[in-house]
Amino acid sequence: MYSLKTRILRIVLAWVVTLTMVLPIYFWITVSIKRDKDVFVLPPKLFRFEPTADYFKAVLLDISPVEQSIESRGALGFSGGGITYMVPRLVDSIIIAVGSTILVVTIATLAAFALSRIHFRAQHHFVYLILSTRMLPPVAVAIPLFLTYKTVGLYDTHLGVILAHTVMNIPLAVLLLKSFFDDVPLEIDEAAIIDGATYWEIFRRIILPTMRTGIAATAVLCFIFSWTEFLFVLMLTATGLKTVPVATSAFVTSTGTQWGSLAALGVAALIPAFIFILLVQKNLVRGLTMGSLKQ
Amino acid sequence: MRLSMPRFMISEHPFPWLFPLIAMLLVFAVFPLAYNIYLSFHEFAIAKRSLVFVGWENWLKLFSDTRLYNALVINITYTVVCLTVQLVLGFLIALLLDTDEKGFGVMRALFSLALVIPPAVTGMMFKMMEDPQFGMIAWALEKLHILSREVPILATSELALAGVMIADIWQWTPFITLIFLAGMRGLPKEPFESAVIDGASQWKITTRFTIPMLSKVIAVAVLIRGIDLFRTFDYIYVMTSGGPGIQTYTLSFYTWKQFATSLKWGYGATLSLLALIIINVAATVLIKLAKIKW
Repeated sequence: MYSLKTRILRIVLAWVVTLTMVLPIYFWITVSIKRDKDVFVLPPKLFRFEPTADYFKAVLLDISPVEQSIESRGALGFSGGGITYMVPRLVDSIIIAVGSTILVVTIATLAAFALSRIHFRAQHHFVYLILSTRMLPPVAVAIPLFLTYKTVGLYDTHLGVILAHTVMNIPLAVLLLKSFFDDVPLEIDEAAIIDGATYWEIFRRIILPTMRTGIAATAVLCFIFSWTEFLFVLMLTATGLKTVPVATSAFVTSTGTQWGSLAALGVAALIPAFIFILLVQKNLVRGLTMGSLKQ
Repeated sequence: MRLSMPRFMISEHPFPWLFPLIAMLLVFAVFPLAYNIYLSFHEFAIAKRSLVFVGWENWLKLFSDTRLYNALVINITYTVVCLTVQLVLGFLIALLLDTDEKGFGVMRALFSLALVIPPAVTGMMFKMMEDPQFGMIAWALEKLHILSREVPILATSELALAGVMIADIWQWTPFITLIFLAGMRGLPKEPFESAVIDGASQWKITTRFTIPMLSKVIAVAVLIRGIDLFRTFDYIYVMTSGGPGIQTYTLSFYTWKQFATSLKWGYGATLSLLALIIINVAATVLIKLAKIKW
């Protein structure tokens, strides 16, 4: 249909666009393995630099930059001080993301089943109510939660953040799962009901087994949105815990920003999320649009 | 066994299925909303260290607050500019990538990379790249004779907002691209093939077929992205902290400032309700007009 020249032109152009898009990420990865002398120079050193694992060691293994710079005879020259060991922050992130994902997927699976299979009055209004939760500005929820958490002792706890993230992901999870469940034809239910099955049995024996990929895709997206969330963690925690996004802002110290450590933490946090999202490529768009667009 | 239970407790009734969700929403969505409404009629008195009833004062203040006006203008500018750029760029890139040719699957996968980076991290990343002393973007702009490096992007009134928008556009254009791509892949092939046979130009095919057929996809993209753009906070917080001055105070950031720095809990709550009302009205209109269904 198209000539060879157009085809080649298209491939070249597509790669140029894609690589331009990926360039900031690539650059960021190089910052995590470059020494300061290679970071703070222009033109930026994208390929020709001496790689170092010092920042990853500091962030992930708690080998202090001072010790390292003594070993490497001061060549490291960390800018800024402060704490760089970030494994506890990664653990906080994992606890919160996993906890809220399990909670939201459980709640949403049950609710989505009812919304998809059982007809009841005002169903449309209920769906719209769930959707409008998505329109709540996080700050509108965070202010009352902050004040309430302070009095009930949930402030600065994992559980407090887990609950906030659960609510944040409810609209996505419910609407997406409903769209998956709607794929199973209602005739199957009718046949099962004639055979004497209850809704619980339909849920257990038909919906859950056939919708495993849909539930997994929902879980992955909820995980990612919790993993990247910023405002709730900022407002609902103090010193007890910090997730990765909030911890990154802590690298900005009065004596400068520790770009290398910041980049290393960012890269470490990016890898699991990217692997997860690759696993659900097939359902990604459906998930991002909360089930309103099917692929 | 089943007969001995009240009817709404058995699995044939929707209630047991919806109960956990309703409980969650009551505690974490309805209650905060009610609390916000309560707060909006009160204000935290620092001297007394307690909430004092102030009546409609916070609501009336909305009409005379020039900072709020400033924040709304910034919010609308931010939302409209980012949305437009993301839609146009996203659409063009989707057109480019919409083919069964080998290798394009890899590119599509690479495009989902940006979506998993926390916006706060993206903000830091672009803050570094826009740094006048060692930033890649600042350097490239100088080389292209667009902007001298003596002008710090994020610290200059006229440029700070654009500096933040670059990060948002970079991170979320792929989101739009992926949505459009899925939409395009789902379109029937026949009308396009016959249009090509009839000798229609690529431009005509795009404007007469692709865009109208994707109208629902576009509406969904505008809805979801629009809501998030209007609530922007993370980029502002890490990149400019609202500065220089109040040049990048979005509504969310202004609300947060009122709450966290000025300790105006009541007014902060009023502002967050205002944001909710605006988003809800705009979204409802869009959903009705575009007939988006869930």
